Amino acid sequence: MELSDLFANLSLGFSVALSPGNVFWCLTGALVGTAIGVLPGVGPVATMALLLPTTYYLPPEGALIMLAGIYYGAQYGGSTTAILINLPGESSSVVTVLDGYQMAKQGRAGAALAISAIGSFFAGCVATIVIAVAAPPLTLVAQKFAPADYCSLMVLGLVFAIVLARGSILKAFGMVFLGMLLGLVGTDVNTGNLRYSFGISDLFDGIGFVPLVMGLFGMAEIMANMTSTERRDLVTAKVTGLMPTREDLKTSAMPILRGTVLGGFLGILPGGGAVLASFSAYTLEKKLAKDPSRFGHGAIEGVAGPEAANNAAAQTSFIPMLTLGIPSNAVMAMMIGGMMIHGIVPGPQVMQERPGLFWGMIASMWVGNLMLIVLNLPMIGLWVRMLMVPYRLLSVAILFFCCIGVYSLNNSANEVLFIAAFGLLGYLFFKLDCEPAPLLLGFILGPLLEVYMRRAMLLSRGDAMVFLERPLSLSFLVLAGLLLAIVLLPNIRKAREVAFVE
Amino acid sequence: MIRRIKGSQDLTAGAMFVAIGLLAIVVGRDYPLGSWQRPGTGVLPMILAWCLVGIGGVITIKGLLIRGAGLLDGVWAWRPVIMVTLAGLAFALLVNDGGLVVSMVVSMAICAAGTPETRWREFAIFSVIMVVIGVALFIKGLGMPIKVFPWN
Repeated sequence: MELSDLFANLSLGFSVALSPGNVFWCLTGALVGTAIGVLPGVGPVATMALLLPTTYYLPPEGALIMLAGIYYGAQYGGSTTAILINLPGESSSVVTVLDGYQMAKQGRAGAALAISAIGSFFAGCVATIVIAVAAPPLTLVAQKFAPADYCSLMVLGLVFAIVLARGSILKAFGMVFLGMLLGLVGTDVNTGNLRYSFGISDLFDGIGFVPLVMGLFGMAEIMANMTSTERRDLVTAKVTGLMPTREDLKTSAMPILRGTVLGGFLGILPGGGAVLASFSAYTLEKKLAKDPSRFGHGAIEGVAGPEAANNAAAQTSFIPMLTLGIPSNAVMAMMIGGMMIHGIVPGPQVMQERPGLFWGMIASMWVGNLMLIVLNLPMIGLWVRMLMVPYRLLSVAILFFCCIGVYSLNNSANEVLFIAAFGLLGYLFFKLDCEPAPLLLGFILGPLLEVYMRRAMLLSRGDAMVFLERPLSLSFLVLAGLLLAIVLLPNIRKAREVAFVE
Repeated sequence: MIRRIKGSQDLTAGAMFVAIGLLAIVVGRDYPLGSWQRPGTGVLPMILAWCLVGIGGVITIKGLLIRGAGLLDGVWAWRPVIMVTLAGLAFALLVNDGGLVVSMVVSMAICAAGTPETRWREFAIFSVIMVVIGVALFIKGLGMPIKVFPWN
């Protein structure tokens, strides 16, 4: 691709992202995201689910820009609490706690916060450029895909999601299958037949994405959190001296760079994303350090690397979603949900059909990151005060926003009944240690997979070998098989040993 | 001799997958399968349902044979689970006829009753604030067609 194309694309993007309306939505998203990220127990997925219905009232560009803003805002917020009160607001900032909180205890909270912000910002800038450079060629490749290739690519994506999911792989499998089944409920678009609607007219159009995520992530989280009375020791050391020393900057430069590269790469993988990136970056820094024993006792590299990595990954995970229309994690599934609310079919055609939306969203990531670094550091006092809101009130507010949000989509009280049911189901999953994220990916990809499977079979005149005969499709499937073998074999062996020992 | 179940959490999860899979197979048994060239309505559901039964079976067996987490480990939060669910139901049943204020206050109160930590005086003040926000944002702001009060 020509360099001038890149500039033309980015300037188109910035003209969209910098329009007053979109700057406002970006700011709103980033601020709301940070506020929620600060609150432990309300993750970015739940936040996006809560605000998904409101985006219905916005133009598509504003809606997606705001949703994206919530996501990276939540990451900033999560690191803030990790450093200040030893509590990761989000799962991606779990490792930031290790050294960040130690730095805060040594009176260096300001430096830790600043390095985390600078690292995230740098990673965000690089990731934005990576997306802008990588997206067009990838979209071109994706447009050459035959239906069979697409089908196999989705299988590969799902396998990645299963392999990299937290917890039991077997259960992740079950959740993907269950999610795909749920995605097939309603009218079969090809034949007009009804499936699994049980005569309920609200199910004729399928299970709604919003009631599903609100129930599984919103209601179920309230239930789970209301039992655990979390302790929030506000040890808040006074945040003084926000500026890191020259020494700090020098030690952090390389970790930030490494974190960016590592995170940017891991973010592209389906199922990966920010959590995996921050953990890997921490391990890498510890391995590379001359004196690994400093880690866990306030090593600034332990903050810089993971923070850069999780932000880079958060952004590059947009690449498969934007170019292929395939969500790589629950957050991206939420973005696709946001697109579908506006009638945009995700996939390689988005870039050509809606260049303003596509490039505007990419440019808004940079704008949002800039806003966060400018706004967040001065507002830390406010964020810390937000932690004082007790969960007993928060849960009531979340419940209301879940109910009204679902109701607002179609003015249908029946859909509110669905979130109550999905909430129960979500709590059951939580108690059975079944991660709901793979279910969400299956839910999105199930119907798509069926469409492409049918096209592939039609084109091949009913020859199922088409999936193995096309080189691209075959290599996707082989890769998926290899991945599964690598992960499952040691598991089986270990399980057998355990069984024998017993 | 009945051996003690080693991982009741896995066992339950597996059984759940098997049950849902079987339900999907039974309900979907008459969905047309079509031809190879034009796969019908029932093809993917059947494949998925059998996969679900299969994986559920494996998890069940794992639960029987391998020591793991128990179903009753940790706290089962019956009170919040029931109350939050009831709160959702209350909102759904009241919103059309009762209007926003009634449905909000009732559902939020039921939700608050889900945890012993609720302080009712604090809740009263908070719910007034929430109702004001709710009416201003959703009815006045977004123009949602919901009554404010039952008699509107």
